[in-house]
Amino acid sequence: MPFESKSEAGYTIISIDETRLDASISESFRVYLFDQIENGSSNMMVIDLSLVRFMDSSGLGALVATLKKMGGEGSLKLAAAQPAVLDLFNLTSMDKLFTILPTVTEAIEEK
Amino acid sequence: MDILIVEDARDQRMMLAVVLKKQGHRVFEASDGYEALNILESHPNIRIVISDWMMPNMDGIALCEAIRKSHIGCYVYFMLLTGKSDRQAVVEGINRGADDFINKPIDFDELSARLNAGIRIIELKAALENKIDTIEKDLASAAETQSRLLSEPAKIQHVDFNWYFKPSRFLGGDMFGYQALDGETLSFYQLDVAGHGIPSALFSFSLNNILRENGSGSLVKESFNDPPFYRVKSPDEVLVSLNEQFQAKPEAMLYFTIAYGVINSRTGSVTISQAGHPSPLWLKSHSKTVEKISSGGVPIGMMPGMTYENVTIQLQPGDRLFLYSDGVTECENSTGDMFGEERLESLLGNTFDNSIEAIISRVDQSIHSWKGADVFEDDVNFLVLEWQP
Repeated sequence: MPFESKSEAGYTIISIDETRLDASISESFRVYLFDQIENGSSNMMVIDLSLVRFMDSSGLGALVATLKKMGGEGSLKLAAAQPAVLDLFNLTSMDKLFTILPTVTEAIEEK
Repeated sequence: MDILIVEDARDQRMMLAVVLKKQGHRVFEASDGYEALNILESHPNIRIVISDWMMPNMDGIALCEAIRKSHIGCYVYFMLLTGKSDRQAVVEGINRGADDFINKPIDFDELSARLNAGIRIIELKAALENKIDTIEKDLASAAETQSRLLSEPAKIQHVDFNWYFKPSRFLGGDMFGYQALDGETLSFYQLDVAGHGIPSALFSFSLNNILRENGSGSLVKESFNDPPFYRVKSPDEVLVSLNEQFQAKPEAMLYFTIAYGVINSRTGSVTISQAGHPSPLWLKSHSKTVEKISSGGVPIGMMPGMTYENVTIQLQPGDRLFLYSDGVTECENSTGDMFGEERLESLLGNTFDNSIEAIISRVDQSIHSWKGADVFEDDVNFLVLEWQP
């Protein structure tokens, strides 16, 4: 599976080892994130997007589905998005829904 | 089952035929590969071929390859009779298209068991093909329904509307529409439901329906009992209503992006609101420039309680608006590069002397030659309107 998670300073850091977060992996990504919520010890998550060069609507759907699933509990932050991914977030006003930070470290430190 | 026996030795062929007929099969006989191909051609119900390996003219393996290459519609289960029991021959036979082997001299119990195995596979395949056929017919009929939902190109109150729509595979989740809301106000929209196929298409059908004004009050027009009896809702109100009505479930994120606008056909004033959709492009006829009508907005269905922004612009006579979905700009060429916004804008910047029809065919050609094929991973859909009072 192209997803990995580790714990750091009370956060679960999830990284995606793929350059495209599109329809071919978005559903398994969603399931992976839901598992983290249901079985994970922490509902504080940071998603490391540094390797993702392209994201489509299904990838966006997986992230928002996770946010909905959390139902206002805990936190879901995004880190290290590349320019094309940031463009998609801008177009879709995702900054209204997510905290997006330049690096994982800053995401952890952000209060 | 209709079975063809291909064997050059007459006595062996007849014996095999008698045994198979006794088991209730309909049997055809050929003495070499060429004769076998002729019989298969004229009897398309034959599903099983039992063929000798060594034969004059065309041997069993050559026959098998010829059948695999031929245009015979159904799968033919090919059993090879062989005295060669060595592994090498079996491997060669399977690699060249044979399904099973029977050693000579034939053990008839074994033949019957192997035939039954073959029949099971043929029946399974037939059942599968039947189901696929039903699904494809349903898809085709849904695609037909979808194409009937699309608005015809039209001139409504000084506004010309035309469009291009190419669904990915059979069905897409893109939709668009335009209509008069009263004597001088028209609404238009273009939307893109995330994902493809039946769920997205069905959702886009129902959105098409809900965005339609039927005269008795709707999502786009509010009715009152007192004069003036109605109020055209502003685009941001329409998007807020849609967002409250269509919240996606976390397990099935069926959401959509949309650009929705109203135009006053008398004054040329346009108000547009968008939810995560690519910015509509304003083709200004006097300055011959292309301008993005940008405003943010979370896609519809993602989160409740979102608000949207209205952007109002004043068209000049001859100005055009170009609304599109990301299937246009995210269309990739053979090396994985996207068509992109810049290319689209510069292409449209050279269309000021073209008719709307010519714009559509130029964008269509450009995307096709970029893609290098006629099959697209995403719907390709755009809507063009021109105000010409």
